[in-house]
Amino acid sequence: MRTLGFFFRLLPILLVALFLHYVLPQHDTVQITSTEVIRTDFSSYNRIFYAQPDSGAVEQPTRDLRLINTSKIRTYLLGFIPRDRTEVMVYRNEDTGWIWPPYFKFDSADLQAESAAAARTEGWYSITHYGWRIRWASIYPNAVAISPVDGPRPGIVPWFNIGFFVFLFAAFFVIRGMWRQFRERMIDPSLDAAGDRMDIARADLAKRRSGFRRWLDNWTSKDRR
Amino acid sequence: MAFIKLLGFGLIGLTVVYWSLSLYSASLRRERLEDDYDKSPHPGQTREAYVADGMAAYRAGLRPKLLLSVYIVPIVVVSTIIYVVNSG
Repeated sequence: MRTLGFFFRLLPILLVALFLHYVLPQHDTVQITSTEVIRTDFSSYNRIFYAQPDSGAVEQPTRDLRLINTSKIRTYLLGFIPRDRTEVMVYRNEDTGWIWPPYFKFDSADLQAESAAAARTEGWYSITHYGWRIRWASIYPNAVAISPVDGPRPGIVPWFNIGFFVFLFAAFFVIRGMWRQFRERMIDPSLDAAGDRMDIARADLAKRRSGFRRWLDNWTSKDRR
Repeated sequence: MAFIKLLGFGLIGLTVVYWSLSLYSASLRRERLEDDYDKSPHPGQTREAYVADGMAAYRAGLRPKLLLSVYIVPIVVVSTIIYVVNSG
């Protein structure tokens, strides 16, 4: 029972962590090998992992999808510790537009052209992306930007994520302060007032009942000693 | 259409944040004024009058105006993101 409770408390934290891991930008160090466009048929379960159609266009069950094929440096620990081996990684390249996630990316055609130019070289690139590669559901991370780097270990500092977590931390304390202030100034006084009213009502009731009792006691036999 | 949706929901969300923050800030100030008065009561001024004066000074001050940056900062951040993501 105890472990079950622990699990249920852990679950929301885990879900938030997964959500942030999906949405926040990450940097991979890659060599771009080629770019391509494939026709994609969405299904109900992988549809939410793709962007919405271009604004003004009709939502169709099928559409063309830009892909960037790369050879990526493997990493440990969410990409913080690079390893010596590489693996293949495929990124999609879609506009996020104005809605979600809020990357406000409108230049996927330009990014595709940059990637095609990069594919002709042997150079290393840092590719900023969000999302996951899930093979069984045909889901790709979405590339947001590429920039050339010196070598396979560029040591990129995730400034955006640092700023984001600082903001999240600050927002947590502000919201907690707000809630405490609200409780102290609004809920507690009204609860006190309600408690007072309750006490008065209860005392009143007790008095009335004691009157009733007294009357009842008239009927009970007196001490016949 | 998506832009209008963003604008609409963004405005609603930011208004909620703005109201919460301004109520919170005003409440903190009111509490401090009350504590000040309780610590050293001003002769010839009731507690209510002292707090009302302090709150009037607070409303005329800089802090409530600074809270309007709740609307400005996201616009700046979003503009910066749009510029950084779509250039180069």
